[in-house]
Amino acid sequence: MSAFSREEGIYSLDLTLDEAHILINLVEQLLELLGEGDFNHHYDESDPFAQLMAQLKAAPEEVVVPEDPVLLRLLPNAYADPEAAADFRRYTEPTLRGKKKRTLAQVRAALEIIVDEDRAGVVDDLDSEVWLMAINDLRLALSVRLEIKPESFDLFEALPDEDPQKAIYAVYFWLGWLQESLLNLLAQG
Amino acid sequence: MATDTMIESDLDISQLVDKPWVTIVWDDPVNLMSYVTFVFIKLFGFTQERAHELMMQVHNEGRAAVSTGSREEMERDVQRLHEHGLWATLQRDDKF
Repeated sequence: MSAFSREEGIYSLDLTLDEAHILINLVEQLLELLGEGDFNHHYDESDPFAQLMAQLKAAPEEVVVPEDPVLLRLLPNAYADPEAAADFRRYTEPTLRGKKKRTLAQVRAALEIIVDEDRAGVVDDLDSEVWLMAINDLRLALSVRLEIKPESFDLFEALPDEDPQKAIYAVYFWLGWLQESLLNLLAQG
Repeated sequence: MATDTMIESDLDISQLVDKPWVTIVWDDPVNLMSYVTFVFIKLFGFTQERAHELMMQVHNEGRAAVSTGSREEMERDVQRLHEHGLWATLQRDDKF
């Protein structure tokens, strides 16, 4: 199984083509859910003008608590009080959403190179913290869809192999393993 | 006399106003223990021991207070924790 590695401070990830496909599909689905499809990408999202335009597009009063439970997990309420939570969300959620999208887009750009060449490959010189956060958001998203509980490992193990939920759980489990391999490297300093 | 009383009453009010807010991190069954510890060190500059201790408190007790300060500071901490996928809220310290 592929894992992160580090040599002379440079992080890389060796992926099979199948693994790269799984990752890029998840990343793109999450980007879509976060609303990347709302506008055309003929500009650089990091351009301050583009950021200003994106903010204007989502007028503060239009920002509401997400109905999708995945979005609610990724963009949670900051206060128990609904009114204070709504107020805080109105002014901060576009920034939070934008950061998550930029993180995922960076990972997508790195994966595109492998997927477009249609062969196994190494993601070289990757930003370890960007990948750490992106993988974490993918795990959070999958966990909501899979309704992960502390006892989930045993529950999914017990499912028959042909159950599609079991395959999704396997991907969730793999992402956890991948993240742990990166955390081990980061903890070594 | 009157002036003294005014000062004392001002002090009391300022203590109320400055009552600190607190950032709470809640347990979830998804975030890896090593990841939560990593995020605590990265965002708050805790030692490995302190970060591990707080992570274990979240895990065992369901929640832990990770920072205290003004409302604005706690809003910033919650936002940064949300960026990293941790489940965090803020509230007045006296409610915790």
